[in-house]
Amino acid sequence: MAADTTATAAAAAAAAASASAISVAEQLEQLGAARKLVLENSTYYDRIVKGVLPIIGPTAPLPLRRWGAEFLAESLATPVLSMRDKENITTAVLDTLRGLLEGAAEDPIVLKASIAAAASAYPVALRWIIHNSYHTESWEQMSAIKSRILQIWDGAPAPVKLSCIKFAQRVVLAQTVSNGMEQKYGGLDISLNAIPPNHPLLDPRQLEAEATGLLDRMLGVLQDNSSDVLLVDATINCLSILTRTRPNTSNRILNSMLNFNPLKLANSPMTPKTRVFIKSLEKTTRMFLTHLLRRDPQNPMAGRIQQYVERLMRSRAEIFDDAGRKRALADHAVAASGDTKRQRMEGGVAQVTIPPLGPGPHTLAAVFTLTNNLGLQSFDATQVLANLAGKISVRTLAAMDPQVLDLAVSAVRDRLTSLYAAGAAAAAAQPVAINASTAPLGVEEEDDDYEPDLTPAEDTEQILNKLDNAPPEEPAADAGAAMALGPFKLPPPPTINPEVATKLSQAAASRIFGPLSSLKESTALRKPKAGINRLAASSYDRDSWMTLITRLATRSTAGLEDASSGIKAEDVGGASLGDSIREMVYNYILEDWRRRIEVAVAWLCEEWYNDQLTKRSGSGAPLHYERCALRLVDGFLDYITAQDKVLTRFLAEIPELSGALLGKLKALCADPTTVQLALTSLLYLVMMRPPVREIALDTVAEIWTEYEDARPLAAKYLVKWRPGFIESQTRPAAGDAAPANNNMVIAT
Amino acid sequence: MDASNGSAGSAAAQNGQAGDGSGFRLKFCTVCASNQNRSMEGHLRLAQANYPVISFGTGSLVRLPGPTITQPNVYKFNETSYDSIFRELDAKDPRLYRANGLLNMLERNRRIKWGPERWQDWQVGLPRVKHEKDQGSVGMEAGIPDIVITCEERCWDAVVDDLLNRGAPLNRPVHVINIDIKDNHKDALTAGGAMVELADSLNKAALQERDKVGASAFEAGGVAGRASFDERVPEVLAEWQERWPDLPATWTLSWF
Repeated sequence: MAADTTATAAAAAAAAASASAISVAEQLEQLGAARKLVLENSTYYDRIVKGVLPIIGPTAPLPLRRWGAEFLAESLATPVLSMRDKENITTAVLDTLRGLLEGAAEDPIVLKASIAAAASAYPVALRWIIHNSYHTESWEQMSAIKSRILQIWDGAPAPVKLSCIKFAQRVVLAQTVSNGMEQKYGGLDISLNAIPPNHPLLDPRQLEAEATGLLDRMLGVLQDNSSDVLLVDATINCLSILTRTRPNTSNRILNSMLNFNPLKLANSPMTPKTRVFIKSLEKTTRMFLTHLLRRDPQNPMAGRIQQYVERLMRSRAEIFDDAGRKRALADHAVAASGDTKRQRMEGGVAQVTIPPLGPGPHTLAAVFTLTNNLGLQSFDATQVLANLAGKISVRTLAAMDPQVLDLAVSAVRDRLTSLYAAGAAAAAAQPVAINASTAPLGVEEEDDDYEPDLTPAEDTEQILNKLDNAPPEEPAADAGAAMALGPFKLPPPPTINPEVATKLSQAAASRIFGPLSSLKESTALRKPKAGINRLAASSYDRDSWMTLITRLATRSTAGLEDASSGIKAEDVGGASLGDSIREMVYNYILEDWRRRIEVAVAWLCEEWYNDQLTKRSGSGAPLHYERCALRLVDGFLDYITAQDKVLTRFLAEIPELSGALLGKLKALCADPTTVQLALTSLLYLVMMRPPVREIALDTVAEIWTEYEDARPLAAKYLVKWRPGFIESQTRPAAGDAAPANNNMVIAT
Repeated sequence: MDASNGSAGSAAAQNGQAGDGSGFRLKFCTVCASNQNRSMEGHLRLAQANYPVISFGTGSLVRLPGPTITQPNVYKFNETSYDSIFRELDAKDPRLYRANGLLNMLERNRRIKWGPERWQDWQVGLPRVKHEKDQGSVGMEAGIPDIVITCEERCWDAVVDDLLNRGAPLNRPVHVINIDIKDNHKDALTAGGAMVELADSLNKAALQERDKVGASAFEAGGVAGRASFDERVPEVLAEWQERWPDLPATWTLSWF
């Protein structure tokens, strides 16, 4: 065979080249020819690879070493050879590879290619030694290569490091347990599964331990949150197959990925280079994670991955915000100018001429008839079956040139406009039927677009009422016959008197309480996150809704109600919107006050804040906090039992306490079971809220004075916090006022 | 290294591995959705600039505009030649397809290579010795490019995802670069020039790396001035992006 002889000749020439003194360039040319030959016919690989080995060894000139290393990398990776052929070649080249790798200060290109070749060789060598354990020599070579590579790794230049990462990945792939999901080519399927437990040379546990160590070393670049984009990308882009097919590595890899922040660089100044870096890291990370999500949606970490990806996309959108917008605008411009690829054959719109309607009455059908063809005009479209008509319409609309459609629509609109103008002229002669007093509430006069106003201006009942009062429907019948298209107006709503208005606004207010029963309880988990900068109602849960309601109550009409409006409201017998919501919040809290005490506190905080704003503005508008707080305490005080510690909490948390408010607690002391609750609540205030300490102590003192039964406990607190008070109270009873002063002095 | 060099014109410049450095050419691969417009324009321009180049589409089918937007002309990848598509459209409605540029495009494409190829069906590393008539085939015999340039973000996504899926059996690094090009003739033409410019910049960086010899390069690893080709790819891209701000680019390093 001619080719066969060529191959032999090439191999021979290659071999001869080493011996003779021909130039490097000539040698390269011959090697190139040999390479071409194996690419054309893979059966020559064995012979040619073995033939070139002596020429490309560690002592060869650099160009030959580079060529050789790249040729070995290519040959060991080629998909055209079977595993058996690869084993054959691999065992033959290990010695040369080792030589190239161990050369002192070897060229990076040679190293990069040699390590890539070693990465392809590793699984093959492992497979070989699994089945041929007697052949220890090749495994020793491979092990030496491995330790040499792992030794070079750290100090190597970037391209060499790249290959080291990939080599490590192949070692991990080969030395961990597989789930059998990988494709069976390129040695990807060689795994720990293939090693028998009693293999004389290989100890699976040891190999797996080594793999674990190497994986950690690979992931180090992520754990350090490295900004070396090249290495991070290279690492991430070779982790996929490990995660998918080596279950033992999956968790470790995913955890490293989810803790990795690809946008870290965004904090540094944004140069064009960092832009490329950030974009690369972000997209590479996201591609990897979405790749896993798509292939393994059942993964227990899927939820976390999803969250991470979403967060990443949001952050990226923020960082590249302006860029995104620019692009969008450019796209709009394209949309406006049309797609050049789908240019129309016709220059413009097909010439459709639509005759204007003549004078005189027209049928509705005539208004919409756009054709001049008499035959078509007389066609009765109602004879077409409805479903067929539907199909035809959809097809036609889909295929129709939008410009023709626009033309037709505007023609019909023009006809209607002219009809309207004629109708309006006729209608002007007739008296206006509507009640003049309600005119301001009516729809706009200039309603010449034939666009029915879809905003419901009144409710059904009102419309029905109106219709009852309307004259009989002759004009409508006329219109049907003559098509004198007058302006259509919804009857204006009746005037609303203040009582009705109040009722309606209360009904509206009560509706905002509707969602409370159906909304979810806010998740307790989220609470700690809410810092001072949180938004009050950023999620649609019950808490947020409640915040909304309390603000509506306190702030919606703030500044609108002046001192006089309060009186006016009473005159009418209604309350302002704010007050009616307040009333409903109050009722809502009291419905289940033990559980809704938080709502009460939140509400009172809002009231207090609003009062502060009112005071500052000096508008003299009414203040609400004190009134609401008193009313609330009155509301639940009757139901308090000895176990209701919420009282203590309530008093501790509301923003302001007054003597009057605390005075309410005295009522609790009439009941011996709640004495302790009242007094411990006060004691708590004394201890924990120094600003109100005096008021609280005053209240305790009053309790002591007024309630005989409460004295023992009250006395205990007074002795500690207001020493001398009891003495001052008891002695005047004995008729001596002077020592009281002394005691006061001591007290201060 | 290959005998057909002379026939391809411009001396030995395109020889993948001949000589040490001076004749070095990076190998490219262009990718768009249908392997018709953007990737083929890139293919042509890179081939004319003497770069070894191949091209692919990532779509499920080759889609070309038809008489309306809902009636595209659809063909199978790898099984339909540009020539047969040309002849079919020419028979259907020569006026339409001449006017919207499809026939001109196919005319160009059928001179470049046989037919549209699908990225996902491509076996990386399978020798492409049977493609001698393709433009840009010289130097591409091993079928492994150094740089993949996609013409649209979703093509880049498809390529990166596909490479993750393949599991990197060849242990060979590849730079995957996306350039966002709008899918029309005019933009494809502009971007073709931009692509050649990028290729020249990248090739220059690669040549500089290959000119550095031995120990000095090793010891200087990581120093910016003598940074390796792989490290310089994103930098070169950033500089290129400054010159071509209307063609947003993305890059990653992946594996075959």
